[in-house]
Amino acid sequence: MIRIEGLTFYYSGATQPSLQDINLEVNGGEFVLVTGPSGGGKSSLCRCLNGLIPHFYGGKIAGRVEVGGLDTLKHSTRELATRVGMVFQDPENQLVSLDVEREIAFGLENLAFPKELIAKRIEESLDTLGISDLRYRHLHELSGGEKQKVAIASVLALHPSILILDEPTSELDPKGAEEVLSVVTRLNDELGLTVILVEHRLDRVLQYADRLIAFNQGRITVDGKVRDIMGSCYQELLQMGVGVPPMIRLVQGLRDRGISIDGTPLTVKEGRAMLDKALHGVSGQFTRSSEGNNSKPLVETTRLWYAYPDGLTALKDISLSIGAGEFVAIIGRNASGKTTLVKHFNHLLTPTKGRVKIDGIDTRGATIAELAKKVGFVFQNPNDHLFADTVNDEITFTLKNLGFDSSEIESRTSEVLAKFNLIEYRNHYPRSLSGGEKQRVALASVLALNPKILILDEPTRGMEYRLKSELMCFLEEYRQQGNTVILVSHDVEMVAEYADRVILLSEGKIVVDGEKHDVLSQALLFSPQINRLAQAFTGYGVPNNILTVDEVLGMLS
Amino acid sequence: MISLRYRNKGTPVHKLNPFCKLAWAGSILVLALILDNPLFLLVLFLSTLPVIKAARVWKEWLSTMKFTLFLCLAIILINALVSSHGSHVLLEAPFRIPIMGAPVITLEAIVYGVAMSLRLLAIISAFAILTFTVHPDDMMLAMIRMKLPYKSVLVTSLSTRFIPTLFDDIERITDVQRSRGVELDKGRLTHRIRGRSSIVTALLSNSLDRAVQVAEAMESRAFGTGRNRTFYKDIRFSLIDVTTLVFALLPCALGIFMAVSKYGQYQYYPTLGGIGLSGIEWFLLALMVSILSVILLLAHVKQRVDLD
Repeated sequence: MIRIEGLTFYYSGATQPSLQDINLEVNGGEFVLVTGPSGGGKSSLCRCLNGLIPHFYGGKIAGRVEVGGLDTLKHSTRELATRVGMVFQDPENQLVSLDVEREIAFGLENLAFPKELIAKRIEESLDTLGISDLRYRHLHELSGGEKQKVAIASVLALHPSILILDEPTSELDPKGAEEVLSVVTRLNDELGLTVILVEHRLDRVLQYADRLIAFNQGRITVDGKVRDIMGSCYQELLQMGVGVPPMIRLVQGLRDRGISIDGTPLTVKEGRAMLDKALHGVSGQFTRSSEGNNSKPLVETTRLWYAYPDGLTALKDISLSIGAGEFVAIIGRNASGKTTLVKHFNHLLTPTKGRVKIDGIDTRGATIAELAKKVGFVFQNPNDHLFADTVNDEITFTLKNLGFDSSEIESRTSEVLAKFNLIEYRNHYPRSLSGGEKQRVALASVLALNPKILILDEPTRGMEYRLKSELMCFLEEYRQQGNTVILVSHDVEMVAEYADRVILLSEGKIVVDGEKHDVLSQALLFSPQINRLAQAFTGYGVPNNILTVDEVLGMLS
Repeated sequence: MISLRYRNKGTPVHKLNPFCKLAWAGSILVLALILDNPLFLLVLFLSTLPVIKAARVWKEWLSTMKFTLFLCLAIILINALVSSHGSHVLLEAPFRIPIMGAPVITLEAIVYGVAMSLRLLAIISAFAILTFTVHPDDMMLAMIRMKLPYKSVLVTSLSTRFIPTLFDDIERITDVQRSRGVELDKGRLTHRIRGRSSIVTALLSNSLDRAVQVAEAMESRAFGTGRNRTFYKDIRFSLIDVTTLVFALLPCALGIFMAVSKYGQYQYYPTLGGIGLSGIEWFLLALMVSILSVILLLAHVKQRVDLD
């Protein structure tokens, strides 16, 4: 189905190849999971497969790419469109019509299909994706997951035999991601579509994929059956910064301690069976990393209500207190009020009723600029932060705004640049940096003010594992200095690993607020993988509120 | 989150053939430009109201009109200050401006400004009906059928598609910059401009990135190179549509007749003409209103026919 021989590719103007000497063969009906650090060549490979490279991007190319019998060098993207369907990362940027039906028709119209055929294909695609109820809806009213399903439907309408998805879930919340991934696995399973899926969140799809390929620095470094690779190439994946699911980390951790385990489990169900013997003798208590916090409150809300101008009540009677040195995660479904709540902490929003006090000051009496020295706010997409010509300007901009004198600006800038390893980039254009570097610049521009409270709104969405852990380690260090970290997140695994306290919001109300082990255990949707696994072994004495790999391994020694 | 202005409310007006609505709005445009008499212009404006009501778009219409009223106020003010052709002087400025002399405000200039405003109101009201009741993609199709180049039309339609996205972007980026201590409505002007420019730069850079991604996605779905393209949704003409189209174009013909035979004219300068209409003019005014209203009747007929 796909044959690549000796493929090397340079983007125009690049001195480093993005793909180097790639040889790859994919059979019809295979489900290939592609992973690896960003900038490793995953997206470039996808673009090669439907002819965007070289027809759209230009650049230097060597070698041969054959897809469904067509040489992509000789055939245009348009010709390849009926063989290869391509779904991109951001659903917002790949939909061109106003409603669902016309969106699906777009590709078919471009290929000048007769109207009757278009009508038939639209029906088919809507049914295959199970979205026929969305048919006449406006695209901008749909959720991210729904949009992404429409994007899949619209390429599926062209009847491709290969479906390529380039990080289709990284802009979605967990529910949307789950829906999209289950659709993709079904397409592979039932329709026999060849699927090439680029993904960071391996734990959701590992069990469905036939094959795992990892790219690093433009080369294929790992290629083989998923189960074999998770057993044998575990160290390599870890070094590359691939997010290996916690259960597999646990299995490997147990093996390192000399406990033998037959096979490598890919699902929690398999895990329960395979780890039965290994966890038999484990019982007692694990050491909790932290205990209650009695420091003075930095963030306090009393009976906070908020209604948007259109009348939607987003927050209902929220009273909470967050102290210095706490690491708090705020979790909850989409539209449960998480972001609305944290926007009150620096006065981006003013309470409709009730009050918010930051370090003893009522936010009503303070401007956002005044609060900016106390509260740093980092938003999800670093691109929204960056606008200056150089990294240096980006950081001094914030300081100048708040009226620091020039010597202070100088010293704080160099200090924060050094802290985030950005000195070599200080004269670079921030938006041309890699994703991780951009995030560091955004963080640096906020932390130059030395705020006592740092708020991050979904900072790790769509982020690869290595960058995630770098960010989290930094936040941990920042917290150690007595500062407060408040994290809005969907990423349960990360919250379980790093936060101390978890606040669960639903429909604008606090449902639970407490220590993470109490909040995150024994709940279906919000429990991390290890906790779900542990439920099977509570009879042996494994605590039912254990959350992380390290906690389990800690109990063994 | 801003919503698109078009919303299918399923009224007979929404179901009308887009070409008919285009022709109808076009007729009002022609009439508004041809006619001078303020009474005619007022009636022209008023005759758009029943259609707005039938389409149930009062709220949207009001918000558009609010903005238009400011524009009208500006027209009346500027015309009154600049034009000094009238003979009834209401106010004379106690100072002189070189070359122009002492500015005077005359009755004629004010009335002329009011008439111009009525003209503008009628045109905007008519075209508001188009934006509120024609699906932007249907509008695009109509443009293509009128032989405008596909790619230019597509770009226009794409920009409609991305308006809500753009507003989301603005909201997010503004929040980011405000959190970084940018004060948008405080401080010295230079300070404020610097703050705004940070938002605009980030917005532009985001939009450029987006544009490349959209292009890539369109390319992947076979956009571009082919000469032929089919259209899944097509605008079809039934007998009733053709009738409606004729009735929508009739006012235009009436307007041309009036222009040629000098009916519906009015003298503003140097002194206002009499407001009284001749018998024929009364008749023409009534005729104009009746033909313009036929579209509503035909819209209901169309709905009935489509149901059968």
